[in-house]
Amino acid sequence: MSTLASEYSNEVTHDVIEHRFNPYSDNGGTILGIAGEDFAVLAGDTRHTTGYSINSRYEPKVFNIGDDLLLTANGFQADGTALIKNFKNQLIQYHFNNDNKKMSIESSARLIQHLLYGKRFFPYYVHTILAGLDSEGKGSIYSFDPVGSYEREQCRAGGAAASLIMPFLDNQVNFKNQLDPETGNKKQLKYLKLEEVVELVRDAFSSATERHIHVGDGLEILIVTKEGVRTEYYPLKRD
Amino acid sequence: MVGKDCVAIACDLRLGSQSLGVSNNFEKVFQYGHVFMGLTGLASDVLTVHENFRMKTNLYKMREEREIEPESMANLVSTSLYEKRFGPWFVGPIVAGINSKSGKPFVCAFDFIGCIDYAKDFVVSGTAADQLYGMCEGLYEPNLEPEDLFETISQALLNAADRDALSGWGAVVYVITKDKVTKRYLKSRQD
Amino acid sequence: MSINDISYRFSHKSQLDQNNNDELPLNINNFNLNSLAPSISIPPISQPTDFLRAHTDDDINPDCNIKIAHGTTTLAFRFKEGIIVAVDSRATAGNWIASQTVKKVIEINPMLLGTMAGGAADCQYWETWLGTQCRLHELRNKERISVCAASKILSNLVYNYKGMGLSMGTMICGFTPKEGPTIYYVDSDGTRLKGDLFCVGSGQTFAYGVLDSNYKWDLTVDEALYLGKRSILAAAHRDAFSGGSINLFHVTENGWVFHGNHDVGPLFWEIKEAEGSFNNVNS
Repeated sequence: MSTLASEYSNEVTHDVIEHRFNPYSDNGGTILGIAGEDFAVLAGDTRHTTGYSINSRYEPKVFNIGDDLLLTANGFQADGTALIKNFKNQLIQYHFNNDNKKMSIESSARLIQHLLYGKRFFPYYVHTILAGLDSEGKGSIYSFDPVGSYEREQCRAGGAAASLIMPFLDNQVNFKNQLDPETGNKKQLKYLKLEEVVELVRDAFSSATERHIHVGDGLEILIVTKEGVRTEYYPLKRD
Repeated sequence: MVGKDCVAIACDLRLGSQSLGVSNNFEKVFQYGHVFMGLTGLASDVLTVHENFRMKTNLYKMREEREIEPESMANLVSTSLYEKRFGPWFVGPIVAGINSKSGKPFVCAFDFIGCIDYAKDFVVSGTAADQLYGMCEGLYEPNLEPEDLFETISQALLNAADRDALSGWGAVVYVITKDKVTKRYLKSRQD
Repeated sequence: MSINDISYRFSHKSQLDQNNNDELPLNINNFNLNSLAPSISIPPISQPTDFLRAHTDDDINPDCNIKIAHGTTTLAFRFKEGIIVAVDSRATAGNWIASQTVKKVIEINPMLLGTMAGGAADCQYWETWLGTQCRLHELRNKERISVCAASKILSNLVYNYKGMGLSMGTMICGFTPKEGPTIYYVDSDGTRLKGDLFCVGSGQTFAYGVLDSNYKWDLTVDEALYLGKRSILAAAHRDAFSGGSINLFHVTENGWVFHGNHDVGPLFWEIKEAEGSFNNVNS
């Protein structure tokens, strides 16, 4: 607190005004990836928010980035698009230097780790999921934390409603806490069919929409199979 | 959680102090006549609030010469919590039961100063509330028979608790019909 | 001049390169590691460390928006037949269990293992980086790197970043003809200790409790593997931030051997029944 004399009064006080550098905001939304035997799906809602305001009802955040890979970075959208743009540029360089060789999902995952960790002290505020097929043609999902630690998984939800969707997925995809009614043993794991997975994803998102204000408006599901990538869109509640 | 002429209420058994698990035998669902109340939050307040309501419901029973109904219990909980508006109990109660006159199932939840949230399907409370909302919203369907309701609420609780570091260590489920209450302990992960 | 060189000249330069000549409050502008060591960008403000802490440290700012995974139990101990490494697999962000399937043992190369506690990304990233450094050492010196040297590369690296907010507590485990079975504990403060037995993470005390009371130098391999598993199980049980499953490794003179992934869910009941232990739990 500093004090100044002036002609109008004996003392004028100045409160210290604090400024803090805050480059982050949260644009809500939620994302979900599930790997099947010969396919992978990556889905995201299309609502874009800041605080309690909805900025857009259709702002896709799951991208087909080429080489039959799907990528999404949920959280702060500006960081997400920056990350994906960086990745795409790196991919172009890779094609240029390697005779247009397709980048494998394993290499892509490691590249994304380096992109994220490269900003370890000024992180991208995003949860990243990468989906595609591995070298054996099996569906695969990689999920990343904001600074680049990553892991291959069967399924992963990220973003605002991750805490609502993830336990549901544990239960319905990995059959956690489920017993086989006949034998009483743990229910055997099996690959789900594409139609079943799409139904699960739609269920998960309509549930999340019901209970989370940052999720809703539309659901965009990108599906990668050996035939390539296709997109499906389903409306969600807009309230 | 509400079913067809039945309700179910369930809780985990963990009592902990931050990361340290202290007890795996801490039931958070209490019975007052035919009304059930689940209490999450600060353990000492959970016990004190429970003893308080035991007293209040017993006094109610003596004065009215009948057991308290779930609807009345909800209002009693609400007013009792609001009395402590500026020095509140740190609890998140839920009430479940079947009205003994009309036979209608009833569930509701409260915030810690007594705002009632009436629901026709399910209510949740505690550290794993987000996870429970996701599970219930995904698994629940209306008009379940008691056995199916038991399976649904158990799966919801177990899978939600497995995604919360501070919940788990066993679980209890009550399924309440007009003339019968079944209490079952669930075997769950111990980590 | 190759096309690559030309494209490099016009390609994006990282923050660190651009700021190289500017005056920075941190001494990382004369940071001179191997050229393979990556450059890491920092926020364009006077106190980048405070910035990072405000946004990522949930102890100081519980509302911070970037939560970095914490909470773990890992252990490693030396015995007659080598080294046992055992870890849990849970990752938590606050009370939220982010994953139950984390790989907390990082296979640096076929002879060396590193464990992971603290920031998941820090451990994963720098221990794979350590793997490249070890390979370079082999190519340059026609000889496998010692555990001593490998752990020192890592500890020097993290010391360079001291105060910047790296968070790791790791054990570098390996077997070389010169040193025998060796464990080094390295953490992000720059501590580097050689020892016979370490437990690291939020569940370390629980693991020490079991490990210390049953540890002997003359353990057989099976006994030692069981002791490692049992110690992590105790921690997984009592510590809310540990659990998931247990990964077991045995390090021998021929490199490490993986001894399976054991889900704590069923394993707990199995061991409880076999030992008659865990009588605090009713089944």
